[in-house]
Amino acid sequence: MFFAETLGEASGADQAEDSPHGTIAVELAFEGEPSGSMCLRLTADAAREIAADFLGMEGAEISINQISEVVRELANMICGSVLSRVESAATFRLGVPRIVTAGEECAASLWNTCYRVQLSHGRLTVKIGAGTTECPQPAQPAY
Amino acid sequence: MAYRVLIVDDSPAMRTFVRRVIDMSGFEMSSCFEASNGGEALDLLRHEWVDAILTDINMPEMDGQEFLRRLSEDEILRSIPAIVISTDATTHRIAVMTSLGARGYVTKPFLPETLRAELERTLGVPCG
Repeated sequence: MFFAETLGEASGADQAEDSPHGTIAVELAFEGEPSGSMCLRLTADAAREIAADFLGMEGAEISINQISEVVRELANMICGSVLSRVESAATFRLGVPRIVTAGEECAASLWNTCYRVQLSHGRLTVKIGAGTTECPQPAQPAY
Repeated sequence: MAYRVLIVDDSPAMRTFVRRVIDMSGFEMSSCFEASNGGEALDLLRHEWVDAILTDINMPEMDGQEFLRRLSEDEILRSIPAIVISTDATTHRIAVMTSLGARGYVTKPFLPETLRAELERTLGVPCG
């Protein structure tokens, strides 16, 4: 669905790419059994590449707002997909994906799972923590 | 035959993407309409006929559940097949949306051929 090429699991050695600088991150809380939160972080080039692929545009044409929207949608899909597999017979509720501003870390500190994927133009990191965060009560819950 | 399709999603990026995937899939679409929530979709359906509806669940003002409920209460609009596109693939959510009248359900992420197959199934397009 996202047409970015993946080059396999990335090494965890280069922690610099997981820092808030030069990356875009989205935090998404979820409620269910268990509750928790997910943090998706992409290097800036990877985010632009994915947004361009998603929208069928050239990378140079993509605005920051479009990149943010696509990254939020990507976070929503990854989290929903993971939870649907884990809790296929249960119900869960996703919060509204929130862009983590530059220099800010994702709030949850106890990550149970961390997965890094190397893309042709950067890196994607997903961290999921369960049982540490309550889902906020957004006006419109995401499914 | 080419079909008229309505995409209901509050995300402009997602609407663009769904439209793009339909084009990529080879599904024959003559017109594509867009609405950002259920209420906007109902307004559009008062003056535009469509052959199929693709709807998200979570949307501001009127979400997908309420939208399907309103469609099912309308003697004319209830005949339009609605397909839900959602990240939520839990059996509970699928059962709820199906009970409200959804004829199809596509979970994100999905492939172009998956969306095409679901559109053709709900529209009764002959195979091949």
